[in-house]
Amino acid sequence: MTVDMLIDWFATIGDFPILSFLLAVIISGVPLFLIMALNAMVAVYVERKVSAFMMDRIGPMGQGPGLHAGKWGLLQTAADAVKLLVKEDTVPETSDKFLFKMAPYIIFIGAFLGLAAVPFSSVLQVADFNVGVFYIIAVGSIGVIGIVMAGWASNNKWSLYGAMRSAAQIISYEIPAGLSIIVPIMMAGTMNLQEMIHFQEGNVWGILPNWIIFNNPFTFIAFFIFFISAVAETNRTPFDIPEAESELVAGWMTEYSGFRWAVFFLSEYANMLVVSGLAVAGFLGGWQSPIPGMFDTGAWGLFWFMGKLILLIFVMMWFRWTFPRLRVDQLMHVCWKVFIPIAMFNIFGVGIWKLIFG
Amino acid sequence: MSKYFANIYDTVNTLWTGMRITWGHMINIKRDNVTLQYPEERWPRPERNIGFEHEDYNVIRSRLHVDIDDCIGCLKCERACPVDCIKIDTIKAPNRGEDIPEVKHTGETSNGTKKAMVVSRFTIDMSECCYCNLCTYPCPEECIFMVGGPNSSKHPIDYEFSEFDRTDLIYQFAKKLSPEQKDGLQNPKPEAEA
Ligand code: SF4
Ligand code: SF4
Repeated sequence: MTVDMLIDWFATIGDFPILSFLLAVIISGVPLFLIMALNAMVAVYVERKVSAFMMDRIGPMGQGPGLHAGKWGLLQTAADAVKLLVKEDTVPETSDKFLFKMAPYIIFIGAFLGLAAVPFSSVLQVADFNVGVFYIIAVGSIGVIGIVMAGWASNNKWSLYGAMRSAAQIISYEIPAGLSIIVPIMMAGTMNLQEMIHFQEGNVWGILPNWIIFNNPFTFIAFFIFFISAVAETNRTPFDIPEAESELVAGWMTEYSGFRWAVFFLSEYANMLVVSGLAVAGFLGGWQSPIPGMFDTGAWGLFWFMGKLILLIFVMMWFRWTFPRLRVDQLMHVCWKVFIPIAMFNIFGVGIWKLIFG
Repeated sequence: MSKYFANIYDTVNTLWTGMRITWGHMINIKRDNVTLQYPEERWPRPERNIGFEHEDYNVIRSRLHVDIDDCIGCLKCERACPVDCIKIDTIKAPNRGEDIPEVKHTGETSNGTKKAMVVSRFTIDMSECCYCNLCTYPCPEECIFMVGGPNSSKHPIDYEFSEFDRTDLIYQFAKKLSPEQKDGLQNPKPEAEA
């Protein structure tokens, strides 16, 4: 949306289409990158704190404003970022060097492109596609290519195992995720994320906001299937078999260090943002206020969207620090024998529901 | 078929139980926290004298300390040490019991003993010391002792004396003497001799 607005605005100044397009892309892309970096910094800090608290520890405490006397380790991730940037950037001797160097950027591109379609508020959205949902699901799969590239190019059995597992897992879990995101598409009758959020205005049954998750029992189940599949797609525990520390060292990331590894990290957290953003827009009313008709003007939209996003990301962390990792066969069992049949049944149920009530 | 749904129910139920537990730990972190931020916080030290009832028996063998102003340089501690980690050099003082301000030597100990020797070197290699405490018993001035415990009034306990370099574990207790000062003490000027 910002891209379109900027292009229109440049058009009023003069006629230089290519330049104005480039400018518009850069102007909206840089903040997006900053959001991504900031998100990774804050989320890593919060994740470390959440994990520590859940294990009765207190997490990083040293690096704060006023080093070592510091406050709650607030600058820990900043210190980590500096450390990662100045670390030696090793490339294994026998690796496929070109692919090895390319892989982080491909993964990064996948996460970054997904972020471009996330509707942060009714106006703050870089690109407002009429196929927004489809687009996010599609660019989300670019990451798999990067992961397989990283695993293959590392020329290391752990990396290759990790990459193969990751490919199997992401491709499998895209099916229940896709089947579940069809439910809000059926309800709203559109793939455009803004229109989908506008569909969720008002309230349902008098009290609850008219979010798709509360619309009927099938959408309720669909949300959970989508969310859990989304966690699996981001390769996070309990679905982290691609990097499974105790089995595969660090999976497809084993050979990476320094800046490239930081890019992986950035992409992982940006992916969390994207899938949570899609879940929020599709099921939780996007930037709509949870109290229908109140606090829903202007900046409140951004506030509600970010609030829901942070809540979902927190739940992902909560999952991660509670559940043990699934075995490969369990993972496939859950996907193919539980999620996919239920997701299919959901689509059927929502169709009937729409026929009868909508 | 019913087993299928029973399984799903079981899974959701147990997952939720687990999530409740971690949530409980997270919000009660103030109460449950087990981390001790070491340099700022420490576990309290147990106040106790284990073993023999003799209350002077210094069981807290944490680190040796020497009150060098009280040391008369009798070398009894050096001879007592089973691992020879105490090294003492002495120079005969020109006049027994007199202060020598230029090398910061005091003539008398706090017990009133007149010193005959200037201690020019007193080193204890704490990396060799076996903490047997044998050096403290023969000392006539009771100036070599383990810190803390019964000696807390003389010197606070110190059991955290890690160093970056092993040679830093050789503790120097004697006052620093320059070679000229040493020379001056060893070869007194003729007037002083006369
Ligand atoms: S405590 Fe024992 S080993 Fe250590 S200096 Fe004294 S006599 Fe030597
Ligand atoms: S026994 Fe005591 S007085 Fe004698 S040399 Fe050792 S520390 Fe000094």
